[in-house]
Amino acid sequence: MSQEIGVIGSPEFTTGFRLAGVRKFADVPDDDKDDQLDDAVEEMLTDDDVGIVVMHDDDLDHLSRGVRKDVETSVEPVLVTLGGGTGSGGLREQIKRAIGIDLMEED
Amino acid sequence: MAKDVKPTRKNLMQIEDRIELSERGHDTLEKKRDGLIMEFMDILDQAQDVREDLDDSYQRAQRAINMARAMEGDVAVRGAAAALKEHPELTTESKNIMGVVVPQIESSKVQKSLDERGYGVLGTSARIDEAADAYEELLENIILAAEVETAMKKMLEEIETTKRRVNALEFKLLPELKDNQEYIEQKLEEQEREEIFRMKKIKAKKEKEEKEAREAEQDAAEAATAD
Repeated sequence: MSQEIGVIGSPEFTTGFRLAGVRKFADVPDDDKDDQLDDAVEEMLTDDDVGIVVMHDDDLDHLSRGVRKDVETSVEPVLVTLGGGTGSGGLREQIKRAIGIDLMEED
Repeated sequence: MAKDVKPTRKNLMQIEDRIELSERGHDTLEKKRDGLIMEFMDILDQAQDVREDLDDSYQRAQRAINMARAMEGDVAVRGAAAALKEHPELTTESKNIMGVVVPQIESSKVQKSLDERGYGVLGTSARIDEAADAYEELLENIILAAEVETAMKKMLEEIETTKRRVNALEFKLLPELKDNQEYIEQKLEEQEREEIFRMKKIKAKKEKEEKEAREAEQDAAEAATAD
């Protein structure tokens, strides 16, 4: 089954991806992120046609705790965050928990 | 708990079997955990490279779209974005790393030529094409990152589960079984000692009775000869 890429974020963030052909997107203006981002993410997570969800790393702070945990640990679709460097999207924390040491410590 | 088991030889043998099995399982799980961590380290190196490329291409894409917005205006960029006909598609296959199923994502229609994009060439400028190019490259990197990071997440989950199992065996099940074993062994030894003591008592009592009987017999014989 073929899937698509989904993008969630401010209109400025999503426009570029739409230019590359992404059609599953959720525009959430910066001012409404605290209210609307949770719903947009939940909707994207339940969409079977979406294989990868792209978000900006800073936007994760606008999510409620439960949704943030869901999206960070989700494998289908998988979350890829931009702008947060290596280990963003909760990966660093997960590594610390599973391996016991912080492997992504910056030198 | 140690108090819950009956101190019988049968139970002791059963517990010894369970300890042997648990120790074997513990060794195997430890090896699995170490193997998974080694595989994970390889993927981590790969992930760090992919992340660096991803961050670079994101910055390039942002620069390109900001330039396009500045030169052409936001409306023109959005207009072009809304006109796209071809959409990137993903197909997922799976690969098995030490029992962990990780995805392999294949993509199509990500990098497109100018005529495949669908927006009019005359109405738009090269800036928009550059931005679209940059974002297509970014999408390629995102797909790669998604593949690697999903593999990492799945392996981390498996490492965590294996670690929890190893710890449960090492710090909970095995100590409890060993406590039980020690408890039964002590109880059995105690029973054996009691048994020996009891036998000694009986023996002493028997010997005393025999002695008394012998003495009484002797007394009776002596009395008979005196008469």
